[in-house]
Amino acid sequence: MFAITPNILSNFMISLSRYVILLSLVLISFSIFLIIFLENDYYQGISFKIMFIHVPTAWLSLAIFLVMGISSIIGLIFKSPTAFTVARSLSPIGLIMSIIVLVTGSIWGNLTWGSYWVWDARLTSMLILAFIYLGHILLLYSFEHFQKADFAASILAIIGLVNLPIVKFSVDWWTTLHQESSVLRMGGPSMTNDYLITLLVSFFGIFMLTIFWFSNIFYIIVEKRKIERSKLLND
Amino acid sequence: MRIIKLNNQIKKRFIFLIIIFACFSTSIFLIGYSLKDQIAYFVEPTDLKSMDGIENKYLRVGGLVKTNSLKFLDGKWIFEVVDQNQNSVNVVFSKTLPNLVEENKGIIVEGKFIDNIFVAEIVLAKHDENYMPQSAIDKLKEEGKWRGN
Repeated sequence: MFAITPNILSNFMISLSRYVILLSLVLISFSIFLIIFLENDYYQGISFKIMFIHVPTAWLSLAIFLVMGISSIIGLIFKSPTAFTVARSLSPIGLIMSIIVLVTGSIWGNLTWGSYWVWDARLTSMLILAFIYLGHILLLYSFEHFQKADFAASILAIIGLVNLPIVKFSVDWWTTLHQESSVLRMGGPSMTNDYLITLLVSFFGIFMLTIFWFSNIFYIIVEKRKIERSKLLND
Repeated sequence: MRIIKLNNQIKKRFIFLIIIFACFSTSIFLIGYSLKDQIAYFVEPTDLKSMDGIENKYLRVGGLVKTNSLKFLDGKWIFEVVDQNQNSVNVVFSKTLPNLVEENKGIIVEGKFIDNIFVAEIVLAKHDENYMPQSAIDKLKEEGKWRGN
């Protein structure tokens, strides 16, 4: 199982990446087309359409952290360089995703609630998630040897896994200003099918973009290490 | 022999990680559980009945704006916030309301009780997780399934 070296995974991802980016562009332009021609919400009017960026990026920022945490666990237990490199290349994407969530969320909040920011459980735990991503990146670049950095950062990622259920279920456990989940909830989605389809198309578009982005970062890290290794050998 | 040795190391690391994770999640759970009243963003009018010393205390109260209660009198908004148990709070607010404040829709008011009337300093509209176009509502109304206003 751990015969997958970083090199093999990097070559595999890069060979797929042209199809992935093509699919992503098709899905994203299709979702923009759908969003433009979608009927407004009866209550919130046009402002609810920011949901089609806010919700997919929110799902992805949680999903990326889950993958990061699991690959950190695998990396720590089996000493797998591939798993560490996966975690290392995911955290900048997760940080950008969570910043997009916070910014689009506060624009949406100002249009509907009447406030850019409140300290309720959902918003605060999401901010903590963004800070954990930032801390992960800072830890990765504050050691001289990348093995030490991977060790320290993966402990942070595993501890940060505790925050994921808090972000997801904060709206159910405590009273919040943020509304409850509309799609991943008991009793099925609480939106009409045309909204749900648009949301899913937009999600898969951004998801494919994330995979493309991930494979590029992964490839760059692997190639950089190859160059450093050959430099060391030449010295 | 080598496989057995490796398995032992893997087992040790695995147990080490489980201990870290268990300690950390237990402490987070204890913090969250003991602070659950502070983490809650607002209280409902029903909760106010069991709280003592609410006069002159800065509070957030959330619920729905009661039907036919939203009025504009002498430069002030007057309305009632009601919850599922039909307990309500009279609110006065002297600034501009957010756009989405409507009767029978969610609201959170921030302020103090003065002489049993809640004087709000901040009012936030709280929308729910249901999204649908007007056409879908018209269709539901035709079928007689619509329960909103």
